[in-house]
Order: sequence, then structure tokens, then C-alpha cells
Amino acid sequence: MLRSVRVTSASLDDHEGFFSRVLTKLNSLWLAATYPFAGVGRSLSAHYASEISRTLAPHIRLGNHVEIGRHTWFHTWSIPTIEDKNALKIIVEDGSRIGPRCTISAANSIHLEREVVLGSDILVMDHAHAYEDINIPIKDQGATPGGRIRIGEGCRIGQGAAILCSNKGELVLGRNCIVAPGAVVARSFPPNSVLSGNPARIVQSPGVKQAGGDEKSGERSEVDLANIEVTLHDR
Amino acid sequence: MTDNTFDKDSKSVGINHPGDLLNEDPLAWLPRMANKLYTMWLMWTYPFASFGKGTWAHYSSHVARSAAPHISIGKNVAIARDVRLDVRGTNGNGSPLFIVEEGCGLQRRGVYSARNRIHLMRNVICAHSVLVMDHSGEVGDDPGARKQETVGGSIRIEEECWIGFGTVIICEQGELVIGRHSVVGANSVVRRSIPPYSVVAGDPARIVKQYDFSKGKWVLGCVRPPAGATTAL
Repeated sequence: MLRSVRVTSASLDDHEGFFSRVLTKLNSLWLAATYPFAGVGRSLSAHYASEISRTLAPHIRLGNHVEIGRHTWFHTWSIPTIEDKNALKIIVEDGSRIGPRCTISAANSIHLEREVVLGSDILVMDHAHAYEDINIPIKDQGATPGGRIRIGEGCRIGQGAAILCSNKGELVLGRNCIVAPGAVVARSFPPNSVLSGNPARIVQSPGVKQAGGDEKSGERSEVDLANIEVTLHDR
Repeated sequence: MTDNTFDKDSKSVGINHPGDLLNEDPLAWLPRMANKLYTMWLMWTYPFASFGKGTWAHYSSHVARSAAPHISIGKNVAIARDVRLDVRGTNGNGSPLFIVEEGCGLQRRGVYSARNRIHLMRNVICAHSVLVMDHSGEVGDDPGARKQETVGGSIRIEEECWIGFGTVIICEQGELVIGRHSVVGANSVVRRSIPPYSVVAGDPARIVKQYDFSKGKWVLGCVRPPAGATTAL
């Protein structure tokens, strides 16, 4: 039942070429040295093809040992009605890893706490397009005011998941939640839950006995962890 | 689902204010130039059925030159990073198989694969990681046989739609129409037509909300039955 969990940070593992690693290192140094981040910690590793704009850097705070994957896009923007220049919008705390091709788009606040692992292809967005006026193209309607998103310590998010908070309020994913690949999370969930589906439901709360009477939670979580680790690999 | 700014200067770096361009990282100008050059290259050397003014294509987007005669792209279309426009086969009368009208935004990593006809009408937003296919792989009786593609149907996405992140739109037969001003939620799977002014979500996509013209507002649930739903399933 248990799959082997590969160590993703092993330096001898040659899934990433030497040159690409050098470029990533240079890019990380360049970002840390020249971008006006609200804060940036030690050992940032931002892939050379990740996209963080310098003009948006004052809205972003990165902790120590943050990893950012290929083509991952940090985007913040101000909704004209709530103009707050230089407000902190994206906070990534120590040890968080963000996989390749993620989109983090913040209008208000997106907070990844410590040791959060985002797999690949994930969308985290705290606002959405407004579509209510049927006489104006959705494209031109701007965004909803949106809410705030906080992803708790140690959460793991699987490939292709979407975490969306389009309405007012705060979406909190408790600590150590596991979100299965492809899930759509649009509301808050308590700590230690395993979420899956569209819309996401709790498929398992650790410590709760299953119908069969077996304590399966630990086992299940390990498998999901393995899946998420694998998706991190093609950065 | 994505950035709302499709204006020319905000591409790929997410600039909020035009004045911010001056503060931008000088290295960010390199990909910007690459995009510009690639767009001009596409416009001048590819035999597109049409390629409108103001259209912008990221240098990593993928269109085969052999597919270009079957693709028609309107004005002010944004084609973002890693988007793939794929045309399989041709149709007899020489009309384009893949039509993108004015003002559409094809966001990152979208895959559009046309065998018969895919038509995006004006101002459609297709968010990140969308898959739009008007055919699919055949499921034969013989599991060992080499799989062929089905003949498929055609897809029309009408004006002002917003297709959310990770959505899959597949038409296996007949015509699939996503009605005007509809919204498709994140990670949905759409296999049948959607009436206009609807919000759908889920796998398979179901109507969550619709605009009620008699009340003049959006209401939960289904107000109008799906009209013109010609596809089975």
C-alpha cells in the first residue's frame, strides 16, 4: 500500500540539469539582492523561469528556504476601489515549497504558513472575475472584492487543485490538511482533513474510524503524500 | 480566474499601472522582446487564415505552421505561455477549423485541439490549463487495437464566456454550445451544451446559477432548460 517517497531535495538526483540549477541559483540571488520584497529570507530558491514581477515585489514576503518552481507566477493586483499601495498581499513562510506552474494571484491576502507544499499546476486565487452584469463582457467587469486565503502549516496540495475565495470572508485551510489532486477548495476546512473532489469534501479526518472499523487514516495520508511528492518532481 | 488585464503592456509580468513599467526588472524586457518578435514572426511568415491586429502571442506558445491555414485569429487576442493550438485534419471547403474572435484571452497552458470546428466568439476568457477538444480517443471493443480518434463534433463558445481554470471541454458528437455570458467553474468537465447566462461547475458540469430575466438577477439553480442540447450524455 505504501509507495516509496522519493527525497525531492537530494542534490545528487539529476532530474534537473546542471545549467538549469546554476541559472536557478543566479536568479534566486538576483531576486533576493535587487527586488524590493517586503521581506526575503535565507536560501531562496526561485526557478529561473518563475515569474515574479519587480513592481509587485513590495507586496510579497518570502521566508527562509522557500522554493519556487518553474513557470510559477506570483501575481498581485489592486482592485481600484480598495487601493492600498504597498500592502502585503502574498506571504510565504519558512520552508514552503511551491511546485512548477502554480499561479498565486492575490488581490487581498494569500498567506502560506510554514512548510506548506504546493504540487504543480495549482491555482490559489483570492478573488475572481465579476460576471453579474450581463450587459458588459466578463472580461471588462473587473474582479470581485474577494476574500483572504490562509493555508495552514504543513498543508499539502495536490496537482491541479484550485483554492478559490471569490467572496468576502476568509478561507482557512487548517494545519496539515491534504488536498487531493484536482480538488476545488472554495471554503474553509478544519485541521488535519483530507480533501478531495469538486467541490472539495472531507474524505477523511485523521483519527476518525472508517466504516470498516479500521484505523486507516495514517496509511491513506502516506499514499497521498507520496502522490504529491511525485508531482513536485518535474520542476 | 486569471488576471483581468489584457491590455498590451501588462502581459506576462502583471503590471498594475502603466508607470510601473519603468520600475520593472531590466531582465524582464528580454522575454517581452521575445514575445514581440515571435508575434511578428507569426504574423508575417505563418499562413494564418487571418491574424488580427493587436494580437499577442507568447514566445513559448505552440502553433504548427502546417496548422496555420486552418486557424483564424481575430483582433486583440492574447495567447499566453505554453498555449497549444492544434489542428488535426482539414475540412473540405477550406474554412478555418479553429476560430478565435476579437478580444479573446487564451491563458497559460491551454490546449485547443480542433478536428472539426472550434469557435471562440468575442471576448471569451479561457483561464489557465483549459483543455478544449472537439474529438476524443475511440473506445473500441478490442482492447489491443490501436486507438483511433473519434470523428467528434464541433464546439462553439459564445460571446463573453469565462471558462475557468483547468476546465475540460470535450465534444464527442454533434454540436456543443456554451451559451453567451456563461461561466464555467474551476476544474469542471463539460460534455454537453450549456444554456446562455449560466454558471456551471463540477464533473460532469451542472448548472449552479442562472440569470433570471423576469427577476433581473442571478438565482441559484436552473431557470431555463438547456436549449439546443443536441449531444447525447
